[in-house]
Amino acid sequence: MTAGQVSALQHSEDQDLIDRIIADRVGHPGALLGILEQLQDGSPHKFLPMETLAYVAARTGIPQSQVYGVATFFALFNLDPQGTHTVAICRGTACHTRGSRPLLERVKLQLGLQERSDGADKISLTTPDQRFTVRTVACFGQCALAPVVEIDHAIRGHVKEQMLIREIEALRKESAR
Amino acid sequence: MTEKVKVRIDGEVIAATAGQTILEVARANGKYIPALCYMEGLSAVGACRLCMVQVAGVARLLPACTTPVQEGLAIDTTSSQLQSYRKIALELLLAERNHVCAVCVSSGHCELQTLAQEHGVTYVRYPYNYPRLTVDTTHPRYVLDHNRCILCSRCVRTCAEIEGAHVWDMAGRGIDTRLVSELKRPWGEATSCTSCGKCVQACPTGAMAEKGWAVEEMTKQRTVVSRLTSMREGQ
Repeated sequence: MTAGQVSALQHSEDQDLIDRIIADRVGHPGALLGILEQLQDGSPHKFLPMETLAYVAARTGIPQSQVYGVATFFALFNLDPQGTHTVAICRGTACHTRGSRPLLERVKLQLGLQERSDGADKISLTTPDQRFTVRTVACFGQCALAPVVEIDHAIRGHVKEQMLIREIEALRKESAR
Repeated sequence: MTEKVKVRIDGEVIAATAGQTILEVARANGKYIPALCYMEGLSAVGACRLCMVQVAGVARLLPACTTPVQEGLAIDTTSSQLQSYRKIALELLLAERNHVCAVCVSSGHCELQTLAQEHGVTYVRYPYNYPRLTVDTTHPRYVLDHNRCILCSRCVRTCAEIEGAHVWDMAGRGIDTRLVSELKRPWGEATSCTSCGKCVQACPTGAMAEKGWAVEEMTKQRTVVSRLTSMREGQ
């Protein structure tokens, strides 16, 4: 990758920020992980656009394929814009037996989300208005509270359909204001 | 400063150099251990689990390609337990993607096919996964068929270590792991690819092939990659 291929990003402030984050960490082993994490935290929709990945690769000299590999290996990283509110439904065994699939289906119906047809067990769906992201999680380690749902980083146990829908509608009204 | 060690492979005492792996010592002495992800001249990753061997006194099986020899190791490479594990590994590889030998460019020259035949895999005991996978024909000279890829990463290492371009890498994880070029760009649009074709030669199956070959026609020059490393070491 030659320096000539470092294409400028759209917003120069973004680029300054990215340059600073890279400069802080470059040279340390495993720097890429920290760089990507900080970049995602700093992005308004909590995701890593392709241009950012390409820019990081060019700036750090790490091959693009390797950057992409790291960004897709870890569930932490998102390549698509995330919603303002995140609803994470546990699909672990305990939660499954306590009815997490109907919960997931109900939430998807409520928010008008459709699963992509790739048939993957793990899903992450965002509403077109980018207000909600619904994702599945393997296990929260709170199986005694099954079924478990995490809403905006707060864990809810023994979740019932009605209660979950109420919470989502409350969030929807809140963000509509 | 090379320390000599003696190991016993399948009962035969063999002199080796400390630092060599079990697989290197075995192959240098005419002992056959099957392997798919190992290629002479590339770093070893221990991914395919076909070179598993039994070492006396060690409860678990060890991959021969990444385990260095030590003085007095007694290694068994052919036990019936190993044979059955290798067969399972091969069957799982076959079940994971769409390995249809009858319509594959590499049929007859495929390392996976050869090993399956050697290990008596006449059918697969596990349900096939039948994933929907794509074939990347965007490169002017080569094709990448994900249906035949076994994720051995020989192409990844060849490109990164021998060619120095590092076009390829693994994206995703688990059953969703896929070989990608650059940022999941089509191969033909990968600007860092030098079109040297060494990844194609390193590929053990029909996942990577030169265009223009029909079924059974894609023979590979697997020695190209290993020879390059040995020639560079000689410099």
